[in-house]
Amino acid sequence: MLHKRFKFRNIILLLLLLIPFMSNAQDLTGKEIIEKVYYRDDGDDRRGKLTMILVNSRGDKRVREIKQFDKDFGATEKKIMFFTAPADIRETSFLNWSYDDPAKDDDQWIYLPALGKVKRISSDSKDDYFMGSDFTYDDLGDRHPDEDTHKLLRTETLEGEECYVVESLPKEEGYMYSKTETWVIKDKWIGLQKKFYDEDGDYLKTLKVKEYKDYDGILVITHSQMHNAQKDHKTIMKYKDIELNAGIGSNYFTERMMSRGL
Amino acid sequence: MKTFINFITKYPWPILLGILAVTAFLFIEMSANSRMETDLDEYMPQDHPAFVYSDSAEAIFNIKDGIIIAIENKDGIYNPQTLGKIKTLTKDLGQMKQIEKGDVTSLYTADNIIGTETGLDVTSFYEEVPESSDKLESIRQSVRTNEMVYERIVSEDETVSVVIAEINDDVFSMEFYHEILDLASSYEDEDHKLYVAGTPIVEGTMAYLGPKDMKKMVPIVILVIIIVLYVTLRNIKTTILTLSVVILSVIWAFGLMAWLGISIYAVTTMMPVMLIAIGVADGIHLFNHMHLYLQEHPEASRKDAISDMVRNMWKPVAMTSVTTSVGFVSLLASEVYPIKYFGLFTAFGVMAAMFFSLVFIPVGLMIFNKPKQVKAKRESEKHHPLAHKISKWVLQHKILVLVISVLTIGIGIYGTQKVWINSSFLDKFEDDSDIVQTDNFINKKFGGTTTLNVILSADRKGAFKDPEILKLMSKMQKDVVGSVKEAGNSFSLADYLERMNKVMHADKEEYNRIPDSHNLNAQYLLLYEMSGDPDNLWEVVNYDYNKANLNIQIKEDDSKSLKAVLDEVKSYRGEFSKLNVDINFAGSGYTALVFTDLILEGQIKSLVITFIIIIVLLSLMFRQVSIGFIGAVPISITAVLSFGVMGLLNIPLSTTTALLASIAIGIGIDYAVHFIERYRINHKQHTDSLHIATATMNHSGRAILFNAVVVIAGFLVLLFSVFPPNRALGALVSFNMFTAFVGTITIMLVLLHWKKKFK
Repeated sequence: MLHKRFKFRNIILLLLLLIPFMSNAQDLTGKEIIEKVYYRDDGDDRRGKLTMILVNSRGDKRVREIKQFDKDFGATEKKIMFFTAPADIRETSFLNWSYDDPAKDDDQWIYLPALGKVKRISSDSKDDYFMGSDFTYDDLGDRHPDEDTHKLLRTETLEGEECYVVESLPKEEGYMYSKTETWVIKDKWIGLQKKFYDEDGDYLKTLKVKEYKDYDGILVITHSQMHNAQKDHKTIMKYKDIELNAGIGSNYFTERMMSRGL
Repeated sequence: MKTFINFITKYPWPILLGILAVTAFLFIEMSANSRMETDLDEYMPQDHPAFVYSDSAEAIFNIKDGIIIAIENKDGIYNPQTLGKIKTLTKDLGQMKQIEKGDVTSLYTADNIIGTETGLDVTSFYEEVPESSDKLESIRQSVRTNEMVYERIVSEDETVSVVIAEINDDVFSMEFYHEILDLASSYEDEDHKLYVAGTPIVEGTMAYLGPKDMKKMVPIVILVIIIVLYVTLRNIKTTILTLSVVILSVIWAFGLMAWLGISIYAVTTMMPVMLIAIGVADGIHLFNHMHLYLQEHPEASRKDAISDMVRNMWKPVAMTSVTTSVGFVSLLASEVYPIKYFGLFTAFGVMAAMFFSLVFIPVGLMIFNKPKQVKAKRESEKHHPLAHKISKWVLQHKILVLVISVLTIGIGIYGTQKVWINSSFLDKFEDDSDIVQTDNFINKKFGGTTTLNVILSADRKGAFKDPEILKLMSKMQKDVVGSVKEAGNSFSLADYLERMNKVMHADKEEYNRIPDSHNLNAQYLLLYEMSGDPDNLWEVVNYDYNKANLNIQIKEDDSKSLKAVLDEVKSYRGEFSKLNVDINFAGSGYTALVFTDLILEGQIKSLVITFIIIIVLLSLMFRQVSIGFIGAVPISITAVLSFGVMGLLNIPLSTTTALLASIAIGIGIDYAVHFIERYRINHKQHTDSLHIATATMNHSGRAILFNAVVVIAGFLVLLFSVFPPNRALGALVSFNMFTAFVGTITIMLVLLHWKKKFK
């Protein structure tokens, strides 16, 4: 038996050695792939209308409409959102500054028109869900590649696109995901699908990109869906009326703008 | 009948082997396929509107019953050890396969939303277990000022904190319960004590303990019955044969159930008890008859004695079995399936007992020979002096008997009005049992272990963001908790909004109220979704904000307390309907209450049906309508007195005790039928009423007395049960037997005496 097992291990080793040759790739590592996704050109600023549809396990739906502006300021990304529907939260606005530095928490403010005040929200956890959706702030693109170790598992075709499948394991102990697997489209550097496993290693949810569009050479995800399998809850995000590099002024991303509205 | 008797006496062995073969088959079925059903939801009639409503509300708001584990540290919980235990216990529970991770709530998982001068701080109370006394003190302060945690997750005196694991209805098992207990006790040390409580624990333990106790008690009951049977029948052969009839009928009833794939429910475990009580009667009457026959004809052959017995007794045995079965079949009127099954299969068992009495006993006697006549015939033995004395006394005091009977009925009716229904599961346990003690402990420290879900539904979307509605909810909550002493705490969407309003105003207490604007409420809720765990929100309101779930925690689980809370909530119906909001109820506490009412309603329906059918049957059997009514007198007195005594002694009607009326009738009618049949026969042969009475008393009266003594002795054994409902059952069945016996030989005898003509 012992002899046999050794033999088996040798075969596995041999196969592992062969993988880089078989895969015929440009010898990219998992980390490089994820970095390419993270640093992919998405313009200097963006504006558009975001529709967020939340669907619970019984099929009840809630729809929120948001006008969203965001802009890169070096290592800081600033984003402001104005709710336009439903009516009772119209003009509520939300400002978020996020930092490339993993050690630094996001700064967040909210303006409630019925209260007439801007309030700062401080939160000690990055694993907060974004407005009751199935996305956390990290899922929305905030997570820096250095926070995980990445490994290219294989390449495969998904929905007609050639994809790298990369496994990412968090460096931080007790992070809300024990593992994620990302299907990254070759040469486009868009994550087409991502599977999330919770801190106990159980399968949690899947993000699927349903549609992406080319805006003057910049690819923008316009329709995605996150399905939390444990709760059977779904969030659909649709992004439209998109304008890239629109020259949004930096005064847009201030408390004053929040209360002044659009 | 003659060919039947000939057949039996001719082929005793084949018949015996046939019966044994069928019994063996059913016994194998019973041991191989019996399935115990402990999930109480299986008892509920799923299509009843109250249950349908509750089910849908439970699905909307994810209402589940929670297992509550309390950690007590007498020196206070704010130290690294206790907080560490809370954290690991929370994680351990989430790891159990029966519990979903998101369904565990504790100080470790709770959100701490704090207002500051500039804004809002959303944190957990702790992630890493804090070591420094500063940090511990700051946790203590945040808990104290957080109404959503203080006195809900941490007790007022800060010595106890609870970890709540909500579970689905179908996962509870005794193994799971023991796993939880083991887990809890593994956290105990000299500073920490753990308590496990909650509805699933109580229900699960009850569903397990009741039948287990029955299993232990039934053999003792049988043993006592064997002894008493032997003492009364004074013959080992007849004792064995009588007992065999009972055991065979129990095997056939349970075997048939297993064969048809019908589960055993907690109520089904009362079947052996019923069949034992009813089944021994046939044997006693048969052997009583044979005994008297042999006294008169000491030289009679085995075949003659058997023929005489079957010829004279088949009619009353068949009549009593049919009438008793009718009583049980009428339980089909119940909406509760386990009770339907109980009625149906007990009826089958009774008919099986009749079959065995008329076939197995004669066959057994053919094979093992007739019982030896122990005592030589003496003239004084022919009519027992006691039979004479009783008959004489009754016939001399007819009016007195009548007056006492009427008084008894009067007392019974008076007591019946005091009967109260109890759906409590906890009341079924001993007051000093662990489960009750734990419950009391948690109820003392927290809002209550029983939850009533008040479901509010509005006519339009977004209604539960309206200040008027939310303010009324808040007012009702304060009123219920303030005015009903059993209501310990309440929780609803209003609490979230009050808290958010306070937090957004730098934690100033005067803002701990519902904001005046619909939009502000909407915006607070959006903010809560952004900062807290939105899943918590969907336990109190639905997506469209037109349905809300208002929880009221109650410290007792008995019907009186639940009804007190219900009544207070219902008094708000008018005010809510002005705002176009309806009030309904859901949750296990409420369905248990409805369920108990249903059982009782079914019981009363079946009682009425039984009385009517029995009167009709007796009228047909004896071909006289008046006899139908006379025969119903002892069982009426028994039933009324049974309920009356329960009312007077403050024994609540529950799912167990409610079935007693069926036993009372089932057994009581047997006494009446045997007595009437014998009285009628004697009436044909004699004219002197005292002689008729004495002869009847000597024959049927004697057998009824034996029957009553045997069954009463057997049931008194249940008084030693560890399970209070089984004790009540034992005491009340014994009492009912006694009433039925006395009623039959007194007031019914008087009525028979007054009735001059017999067909």
